[in-house]
Amino acid sequence: MTISATPAARIMALFAREGFTPVDPPIMQPADVFIEKSGEQIRAHTFLFTDPDGVAELCLRPDLTVPTCRWHLQHAADPAGEAKYCYAGPVFRYHARSDTPHEYEQVGLEWFAAPDAVAAEAQVLALAVQSVRAAAEEGAHEATQATPARQEQATPVPLAITIGDIGLMRALLEDIDMPPRWRARLLRRLRRPQAFHQTLRELSGDGERARTSLSPLVDELAEQPGMEHALALAERELDARQLELVGGRTLEEIATRLLEKAENRHLPPLAQEQVAMIEQLLTIRAPLKPAIVQLGKLADAAGAASRAAWQHFAARVEHFARLLGDDARRILFDAAFGQSFDYYTGFVFEITAPVRGAAQAVAGGGRYDNMLASLGGPDVPALGMALNMPRLLAALHGQEAAA
Amino acid sequence: MTNSANNPPLVLGVPSKGRLMDKAVALLAEAGLELVRTGHARGYRGELRGLKAAPVLEVAYLSASEIARHLREGRIAAGVTGEDLLLETMPDVDAVAARRIALGFGHADVVVAVPQCWLDCARMADLEEIAAEHHARHGRLMRVATKYLRLTRTFFAEHGVTAYRTTRSAGATEGAPAAGLAELIVDITSSGETLRANHLKVLDDGTILRSQAMLALHNATAETDAMQELAERVQSTTTIVQQQAAQEGS
Repeated sequence: MTISATPAARIMALFAREGFTPVDPPIMQPADVFIEKSGEQIRAHTFLFTDPDGVAELCLRPDLTVPTCRWHLQHAADPAGEAKYCYAGPVFRYHARSDTPHEYEQVGLEWFAAPDAVAAEAQVLALAVQSVRAAAEEGAHEATQATPARQEQATPVPLAITIGDIGLMRALLEDIDMPPRWRARLLRRLRRPQAFHQTLRELSGDGERARTSLSPLVDELAEQPGMEHALALAERELDARQLELVGGRTLEEIATRLLEKAENRHLPPLAQEQVAMIEQLLTIRAPLKPAIVQLGKLADAAGAASRAAWQHFAARVEHFARLLGDDARRILFDAAFGQSFDYYTGFVFEITAPVRGAAQAVAGGGRYDNMLASLGGPDVPALGMALNMPRLLAALHGQEAAA
Repeated sequence: MTNSANNPPLVLGVPSKGRLMDKAVALLAEAGLELVRTGHARGYRGELRGLKAAPVLEVAYLSASEIARHLREGRIAAGVTGEDLLLETMPDVDAVAARRIALGFGHADVVVAVPQCWLDCARMADLEEIAAEHHARHGRLMRVATKYLRLTRTFFAEHGVTAYRTTRSAGATEGAPAAGLAELIVDITSSGETLRANHLKVLDDGTILRSQAMLALHNATAETDAMQELAERVQSTTTIVQQQAAQEGS
């Protein structure tokens, strides 16, 4: 059997067989769109520069998801139709304190408007696992010749797969009666446990709400709530202090938040059993089978949205079993797990492998349904994943050395 | 990044102008050390006289931010500059200059300031929510004008503020919101006067750093006799000055 030249090429061949079209978006990207999508945390790791005329702000792509989205919107005959892309190429990230290289190879895929959402999610994860295997083929081949007794047909390295799904928490909060802004606040803080629990305590009326420099204004509005009063109050304040409206916000936006603060004083806090349900969901961390059982019990107690999200989850798990076989047992569900990008909207996963003794992420991905629309394209779902090739190869070589 | 192969030359960086320079000169004089400009009167070279271990120590007059950068690059062995600049310039300041002596002057705070017209914004938690809603509603990130990129990122991350971007500002940062160049700022202020004049307010929990002037010693040469003596004499002088100030205050 002949094996393609490089691990990256073997993975790309695998993607091509599954119907993904190779694309090669430009390495240089407009900085603005990138930063607007990924935020300051990515900016801190991005190489930014201006063109020689000092006009356009550019960057070296820190990953290939946004460039592939842009490529799709510029080149696809029907940007709203299904499209499957794969890529292999350098990405650039600055790390001030570590010896991590600033340039490294990423191999990955993006899948827009997949017809069957959960099947596609499972397939993307399966492809990530198969990619690891494809990358290892050559090494495993050599090793087999050297030591014929060695029989490890599944994954060549001890992979650990963690999955999460923000959709489960979104559904649970939907089932609990509360103002929409409370849900938004909790979801935003989901990945910061301390802030999340602090917010939960505040919303359940547990502990005194801290007084701040704007409390007197809220006191006044709380006595006479209503949007009209809020607007009048805000206007009066600005007039009295001769303040112009700067900072990109309208008087309505400011008055609305003031009013929310005032109204919060009159709203019934979250009940203890509701808080308990939210906290219970966050503690679920288990392999797929027990996770399904625990999530099912919680969903039955919570309501319709949670049950729908649970069915979604269970269907995805069936696909995992079908596509991954024994490897599905390596999957750990962690309700608190989230990817480091804010743009993910649902299912996320991460695959770690031991690299020089420490578990490191070699692949990751998930669903990011809002991206294309926010780039000015059609409102279609999207998901994808990428492999960090140097880390993956280090993990594979380390394994050979240990064998 | 740091010059590990060669030790920095035994040069002391001193601020080249302003109150920071005047105070540094006065403090060194208090410690029995005399600063002398060499060459023509406005030159950028000088000497520090009076150390037993180094009767004539070379001095480079630099801007406060250059002093922090020169220290990072290992081009000077010690420097007097603001703590804000040391922390902003070096991701791990202890790895470069672990010995830092607070000098008791040049006090100023690095703060998060938002327009006063944001009547609904008092704390970082408010800002987190306002920034996220702004991004969701307008599809644009809020812009933070600052020269403190690193301090801003660390502090905002601690408070979970993610929906923002920095925009580099070299001077007159406080004017950025009124000029429409940014929505809010991170800047240094000693009295808050300039911020108020520009209709900005510091968030209740928006103080990133209470900074003051420091003498920072590069690790590679911190143990030399000259640097040890410099540090000890400055240290004992500031301690005395601070005790006197405390007595006058009480």
